[in-house]
Amino acid sequence: MTDLSERPASSVPAEGAALAVSDLEVVYRVRGVDREVLRGVSFSIAPGEAYGLVGESGCGKSTTAYAAMRYLPSNGRIVGGQVLVSGNDVTAMSEDRLRQFRATEASMVYQDPAQALNPTLRVGRQLIESFRLLGQDKEQARVSALEALRRVRIADPDRVMDRYPFQLSGGMQQRVVIAMALASDPKLLVLDEPTTGLDATVEAEVLELVQDLRQETGAAVLMIAHNLGIIRQLCDRVGVMYAGRIVEEGPSADVFDAPRHPYTIGLLRSLPRRGVRKTERSLATIPGALPVIGSHLPTCVFVDRCLIATDLCREQVPPMVALGNRFSRCHHVDRIGEIPESPPAVPIAMISGREGTDVLELSHVSKTFRQRAQAIPALVDVELDLGVGETLGIVGESGSGKSTLAKTVLGIEALDAGGEVRLDGAVLPATTGLRNADAKRSMQMVFQNPDSALNRSWSVRRILLRSVRKLTGITGAAAADRVETLAAQLRLTPRHLELKPRQLSGGLKQRVAIARAFVGDPRIVVCDEPTSALDVSVQAAILNLLSDLQADKQTSYVFISHDMSVIRYLSDRIAVMYLGRIQEIGPTDEVFNGPNHPYTEALLSAIPNVDGNTRDRIRLDGEIPTPANPPSGCVFHPRCPRAIPGTCDTVEPPLRSASTSHSIRCHIEIETLVQLQKR
Amino acid sequence: MSDGTTPDLATVESPSAAAALADLRPGQAERRQARRENWRLIRRRPSFIVGNVIVWVWVVCALFGSKLAPYDPLNFRDKTHQPPSGEFWFGTDKTGRDVFSRVVAGARDVLKIAPLAAVLGVVFGVMLGLVMGYVGKRLDNVLSRIVEAFLSLPVILIALLAITTLGSSSWVVLGVVAVLFTPIVARTVRAAVLAERDLDYVTSARLRGESTPFIMFREILPNISGPIIVELTVRIGYAVFTVSTLSFLGAGPPPPSPDWGAQVSEGYAVLSGGIWWTTLFPALAIASLVIAVNLIADSVQSVLEAS
Amino acid sequence: MSRFLLKRLFSAIVTLWLLATIVFAIVNVLPGNIGRKILGPFAPEAEVIAFNQRLGTDRPLLEQYLRSMRNIVTLDFGDSFLTGQRVLDQVLPALGRSGKIALLAFLITIPISVVAGIIAARRQDKLTDRAIVNVGLASSSIPEFVTAAVLVSVFCVHWQLGKAFANPPDGTSLVGQLRYLLAPAVAMAITYFGYLARMTRAGVITALHSDYARTATMKGLSRRQVMRRHILRNALAPTITVISVQIGYLFGGIIGVERVFNYPGLGSLMWNAAKARDVPLLQGAVLLVGIIYMLSTLIADLVIAALNPRIRLEQM
Repeated sequence: MTDLSERPASSVPAEGAALAVSDLEVVYRVRGVDREVLRGVSFSIAPGEAYGLVGESGCGKSTTAYAAMRYLPSNGRIVGGQVLVSGNDVTAMSEDRLRQFRATEASMVYQDPAQALNPTLRVGRQLIESFRLLGQDKEQARVSALEALRRVRIADPDRVMDRYPFQLSGGMQQRVVIAMALASDPKLLVLDEPTTGLDATVEAEVLELVQDLRQETGAAVLMIAHNLGIIRQLCDRVGVMYAGRIVEEGPSADVFDAPRHPYTIGLLRSLPRRGVRKTERSLATIPGALPVIGSHLPTCVFVDRCLIATDLCREQVPPMVALGNRFSRCHHVDRIGEIPESPPAVPIAMISGREGTDVLELSHVSKTFRQRAQAIPALVDVELDLGVGETLGIVGESGSGKSTLAKTVLGIEALDAGGEVRLDGAVLPATTGLRNADAKRSMQMVFQNPDSALNRSWSVRRILLRSVRKLTGITGAAAADRVETLAAQLRLTPRHLELKPRQLSGGLKQRVAIARAFVGDPRIVVCDEPTSALDVSVQAAILNLLSDLQADKQTSYVFISHDMSVIRYLSDRIAVMYLGRIQEIGPTDEVFNGPNHPYTEALLSAIPNVDGNTRDRIRLDGEIPTPANPPSGCVFHPRCPRAIPGTCDTVEPPLRSASTSHSIRCHIEIETLVQLQKR
Repeated sequence: MSDGTTPDLATVESPSAAAALADLRPGQAERRQARRENWRLIRRRPSFIVGNVIVWVWVVCALFGSKLAPYDPLNFRDKTHQPPSGEFWFGTDKTGRDVFSRVVAGARDVLKIAPLAAVLGVVFGVMLGLVMGYVGKRLDNVLSRIVEAFLSLPVILIALLAITTLGSSSWVVLGVVAVLFTPIVARTVRAAVLAERDLDYVTSARLRGESTPFIMFREILPNISGPIIVELTVRIGYAVFTVSTLSFLGAGPPPPSPDWGAQVSEGYAVLSGGIWWTTLFPALAIASLVIAVNLIADSVQSVLEAS
Repeated sequence: MSRFLLKRLFSAIVTLWLLATIVFAIVNVLPGNIGRKILGPFAPEAEVIAFNQRLGTDRPLLEQYLRSMRNIVTLDFGDSFLTGQRVLDQVLPALGRSGKIALLAFLITIPISVVAGIIAARRQDKLTDRAIVNVGLASSSIPEFVTAAVLVSVFCVHWQLGKAFANPPDGTSLVGQLRYLLAPAVAMAITYFGYLARMTRAGVITALHSDYARTATMKGLSRRQVMRRHILRNALAPTITVISVQIGYLFGGIIGVERVFNYPGLGSLMWNAAKARDVPLLQGAVLLVGIIYMLSTLIADLVIAALNPRIRLEQM
């Protein structure tokens, strides 16, 4: 169905390639209808090369990866094209040959390592099984398994062999899966979102490991990720997928620095990059929505959202146009310069957050959970304040207490005695139920997952109307008017109001959730990872919306996120949390420029950046401790590369001032930190 | 942690046929049809059709039994223990009553009691389950213990006990079965509520100050309607099962009434004498009805759980 | 482990107490004259009063309740109202007789239904699967007494293949007993086939679709190896739970089956006791059923813990 004549599939000849996919077409049969999921995907990977596939949800990147291993759901079918691994056609293999192929020639690493390992078998047994398949006897296989664990930098392989998967942390589990995948010294290693769901510092470890192992083994790598930074860091070349086709391909750095396809251009512009802030400009968005997955598209797949599309784009599937060592599937590659820098670079007007009065103050806020008579301190003595119209970004990994902080502020969880949450200077009761109507109206929340945050059996209108009545006391026609006004402000059409949440896309759902939070003109909105379940182009629209609303209404935000570039874009100040404690707090620029708490320093260096990494990565040893059992002294000392023995492990560190508004909780003097962190 | 939990195709790569693309974000028009689509899928299942045909045959018998039966089901005659023949299709019993007419007329009792008992049991069970699941804590602990005690005893046994104490009128049977189904339904509903309780829409309702009953009945209840509908259809099947077993054990409507269970219990005494028809035909009637109800329940369940 | 057992023991005691109370409450919910009930409408009034006095059934309810609780705590369930015999002497032999049928039923049904469930899962949505699922649905929806009645009318009466009366004469050999017990056991086995097969199928399908099954397949294991080494262990936990719960429910179904076959087991005994409102006998029988239920669920939990290290290591 694609244009075979013009296809220069890739720069690697198919015969010598570790993986050569040509014109791959896959359909899923749903309710008796074949839906096209891959519409002629072609690429190849040279031996030892790392190739990345990126794209947003539903673009078909994972299907491509699984099709390469010939592992499709029972309703999925390869209807066209070829997959050659080292010259062998995977689509034509017999069952036995396929088994042998999987055992010896190609391996896979999966998204969720906790699920990928058999929960009832010891790690050792699962690992040994892989070596037994290669014909090794029991003793040999055991030796090989130990060696494999050492190879993935597991320090005490004997102990790990005897563990069950659930007894290992996520990072360790993924190492075990990688060890298993490398058992056969495969020529092709397929990684499907291997670090999605892992904490930033752990993710960095795993990525570094993959990078090292690639050098050691010389395996070709096919990497699937939606995080462009990871692909840039790890892959030589990248293919950008959209709606079942590769629309652009080329060396990773080139593609990310100077994209040549309208979709890639839109995608990259929607990311907050190069330290851009909301006060400088709003983010670009891609108009329109993804085509319905599986629909028949004998056109350019991006045509409906493209700013330079012509009739030609609607009539013909564009060819892969070669541009040196790169390709772009666009009829108008020569005209991509015409794509307007959509929205004009108008900075969003902000009042400077720290002037004026504080709307929210937290003093000595702690939260201890009890589980089986054991006390688990999730928040320890948190001190915070938030100005009118200010955004306070909160970052931290799992167990840092950032979500508990949000819940405690809102009264979903009651804070421990001795602490205070003050709204406009007045102390609030500990739980929502005890707070008065005005306090409820003043503090609302936007949740991470809009699917769970909206009642799925209510219409959008009912969701908003109920909040209007409950939070503002407005009833009758006035309430209905208020809903209409609010919806219009958030660019929801009257048609949207009649729909149920499941009929809306993720971005629209999050808009509804934001509208609900803003029903009563709140003073403070707590946003708990509001964009992490969304694709990047949708994320941009939501971030713009939040900025606009803030500029308009002078709302203060507590913004929780693990994404440093999003935090940097939106926040006026940043608080870094670790194990329930604030380790560093200060204005955004100061936090990003340093000096930093050693943990912040490591965290900042761990983030894979689309623009290439400029910081040297700081390794953190060990694993994130559980809040149930915090280390003595400074809670970060066991992992801290700068820890001072004898001090950090016994004495709680003081809060030091790096500037009038920037504090760091560390034993090391600020001046010393400045020296140490000089780049 | 990189970009969170975006549901990519990877999450649906498991080889399950129906679910494979269900999580993807289809067009809005398609979603709007989802509910109608479910109903259409249920109706198209062969087991649903077969089940319905059988159930409706029995419903017609229950409503118009007296007009359909060739003889009066209560009328004694001299021809006792006649084997099946052209005159008496299913033979006659020990007092010469026509077994076929009695089977036709016997549909009435069970179809009157069983569905009502199931509905009542589900209503009570839903309320109890909502309280246990949402209010939780101490109350849930105490109620769970009691529910567990009830569940550790066979329903039939307690029902038998209660009915022999209270007398065996239709109302008592109905009430007892409903009460005994309550903890079973409550357990299912409680589990469903627990899965909902921690979702953010409930948190959001609390943040705007909704009352507990409002959250239970207006926010959560509509979202667990799927499992409740499934539970209801399954319970109707069990109600038929239970009611006919009880009447077999002598805890059903009093003797002259042509109840299927009672007919089997009258018949099996003479089985060893080779008179099998007085037992077999009412037994098959019970079997056909319970199977039919369960076929319907099963098709509802498989469609609702797949979506 | 010992902590886990202690917790279970405590909850078992509470549950048993609730059971005894439920039975007492149901029997006494309506004021009634036990003596009149047992001696019949034509017995002289004086005799009825004397009878009630002897049994203590004329005492205030609270006193009766406390006495029955004391009997339970001392594991002496008192004497039957009806026969005056010690409850335990009646209940235990009856349990033994019912146990024979139950054991036979499980021996028949467990292997057949587990294998059928696995086959159905492997052939999901194919004809074999549909057949097993629908047969299972039918078999589990029919009340046991109906299955028993049909079995008797067709096999025992029409074709003379088995005995319509299940109670073997004393001194019958083990094989001889089988001829008597087979028909009632099959009647019960048929009912449980449906539950077990469907549960096994569901468990295996879930495991087949799991990520770890995918990992195993991608390692290059054959379907058979994946099934044996990775699927079954994880898939059978729900089946084991169902079996244990069924052991409790078995005593509901067994009443009907024993009535059809005129078998003097625990089911018949409970039927008689319920009819006669024989509180001590009923309490004894009901608590016995409760104890069996709790023991079987406890054993099931232990087996599941043995299969699942996470439960074993974290909860015990």
